[in-house]
Amino acid sequence: MILSNEWEFDIFVGSRIGSFKHIKYHTDPTKNSKKRVENLVDIKSLQKDDTITSMVWGNTEQTEILIGKKNQQIQIYNTQRAEFTKTYTADFGTGDVVGLGRHKRKLLAAVASGVVKIWSKKEETTVETGKIDRMRVCGDDTTLFATGGEENDLKVWRIGETQPVFIAKNLPHDWLQLRQPVWVSDLAFMPGEGGHLLAVCSRHGYVRLYDTRAQRRPVCNVNFPGMAATCIEPGLDERQVLVGFGRGQVHQVDLRKGRPDKGYKGCAGAVTSLALHPRRMLVTVSLDRHLRVHSLDTKQLLYKQYLTSKLSSVLVQTETSTPLLKSSEVDVKEELEETESQPVDELDELFDSMETVGEKPRKKHVSNESVASDNAKKMKPSTEGSTDVDLEDSLEDKDDKILKLLKSTEKQKRRMQKKKKEKKARSVFHTA
Amino acid sequence: MARGKDKKKRKLEKKQEGDDVPKKVPHTLESLREKDETMLANVDDEEKEEAQKDMELDELSSYFQNSYEPKVLITYSDNPHNKTRIFGKELMRIIPNSLSRYRQRSSVKRIVQSAIRESYTDVIIVNENQKQPNGFLLIHLPNGPTAHFRLSSCKITPELRKDYKEITTHRPEVILNNFSTRLGLTVGRMLGALFHYEPQFRGRRAVTFHNQRDYIFFRHHRYEFTPDGKRAKLRELGPRFTLKLISLQQGTFDSKHGDYEWIIAGRRHLMETSRRRFFL
Repeated sequence: MILSNEWEFDIFVGSRIGSFKHIKYHTDPTKNSKKRVENLVDIKSLQKDDTITSMVWGNTEQTEILIGKKNQQIQIYNTQRAEFTKTYTADFGTGDVVGLGRHKRKLLAAVASGVVKIWSKKEETTVETGKIDRMRVCGDDTTLFATGGEENDLKVWRIGETQPVFIAKNLPHDWLQLRQPVWVSDLAFMPGEGGHLLAVCSRHGYVRLYDTRAQRRPVCNVNFPGMAATCIEPGLDERQVLVGFGRGQVHQVDLRKGRPDKGYKGCAGAVTSLALHPRRMLVTVSLDRHLRVHSLDTKQLLYKQYLTSKLSSVLVQTETSTPLLKSSEVDVKEELEETESQPVDELDELFDSMETVGEKPRKKHVSNESVASDNAKKMKPSTEGSTDVDLEDSLEDKDDKILKLLKSTEKQKRRMQKKKKEKKARSVFHTA
Repeated sequence: MARGKDKKKRKLEKKQEGDDVPKKVPHTLESLREKDETMLANVDDEEKEEAQKDMELDELSSYFQNSYEPKVLITYSDNPHNKTRIFGKELMRIIPNSLSRYRQRSSVKRIVQSAIRESYTDVIIVNENQKQPNGFLLIHLPNGPTAHFRLSSCKITPELRKDYKEITTHRPEVILNNFSTRLGLTVGRMLGALFHYEPQFRGRRAVTFHNQRDYIFFRHHRYEFTPDGKRAKLRELGPRFTLKLISLQQGTFDSKHGDYEWIIAGRRHLMETSRRRFFL
């Protein structure tokens, strides 16, 4: 049961040059290395417009990844077979693919010019939504999808209907009677709410929560003046979202209290995508070419990996796991070695692990050595007469004696130190 | 006393050893620099390939394929004082095919728009504070990146007792020194992309951007080879200035809503963890 603290999960990362990577993250920081990162796309074959612009899970088992690119290609990657299974072309509008999703067997795709297309076996339907920055399909009710963009506020649509189910209304004018600008950069359906609750973030520096049952205006509005929000992800707790910003900040926002909750530090460039692991881990990718893993509660930076190209999207696999392609053999070997070494003694292992963790044993060793050398110096004059006796003793006895001596000297030393401390304490008292 | 003796001994030993022994590398901040994982020098082949691809596909790649001649617009903050004007004019002389214009209260975004329309490839905006040039904004067109530098210790030619007329109109050679990390490479490429890719060696003009401890030193020289052809004599033409990167932004200038590739503002103490850590 000792191994229960150590576990691993899979991260999939898409980049702006079009590379697509799989990272196996291990909670034990010593086990993470560059070997656990692998490319799933041949880098040599990349073209200018292969930029990955959106990436979502294709099914609830999380074995399929839908990848949208700037050149309007949509690819489906199967994690189990480790290959691209299907390719679609989204040439029904201009701009990059900004949103993807699945409803049963139907595939939804949106391009930046605002056309959302729904593919199914029999028919293809398109919906015009106006210029958008992001489209997302609801996780709870996959017939719903939401869109939003610059000066194009949040709209919720239902598959099969030509008119939106819900159109958000902007906040009232400010105290100077000026209109509040709108720019939806990313949106998220809050999980477990049946698609009624949506959170929206904006490059104009606000995070808003909409309740489609209650009113058209946001239920909650949190302002981040001067900070351009780029991505949003529903948090693990109720009515919490995580927001990434264009200057590299990441904040947890509590939409119940209506204020920012926590900040996660470390990113030097714009955060482009966030993902959460239910075991309270936050994975961020940013334009500074790094992937970072934070602890959600302690805000601590657990892991950081340089991934060579500007990263644009990230997914965390929570339902299943996928083995690494290349190093799978190595892993197996390592595992075998581990299993071989395990049956010796569990208690021994426990103690071994305990000793290596702290710093104390090192100090002990050092002191032992120094003490030993001291002993050697001290011994010389006093043991001149008794060397014959020593010689007669067997080697083992000698060792025992040395050990005893060492122990006794250690004890003496400790006593001395204690006395010193006491003296010091007294002196402090006196001076005080 | 003992130390002094040691010193003498060491000196003697050195003399006996002679000049054959290679000099030890002195311990400086640079030589003890913290290892940076983004440096191209210490990554494996696969990553190198990817970094290469990354550079092939970025916004500056078309310059390095020699597909266009750079055309640079130089402008200032509003109402520049004398020094900044002269500085801009000297920059204009240094950078071939460049034009200096007063800003006329125009916004950066509008300058960018009209510069794209007029098929400029780069825009330089020199900011001024207290009559001293102090900011250097470099925008690559048509779609980024944008680098913002702090400009300091700027010496224009009159201050160096030089004449700007000495700067010939030949296209200079560009020396980019010490840009080693991935960020540094991007910055170096941006600075290099200001100049024509084909120098006129007749002019014997060399422009140097030397990076040392994240400060980019600019020097401008005319060189002349000695008769034996082994060494080159340098004559500084001026101006001199130092740049320090504040931020690198993806896309053209948009400080409010843009995405930054690297920014140090607001997290300097977090990022500058050690004196031996450098970003360029």
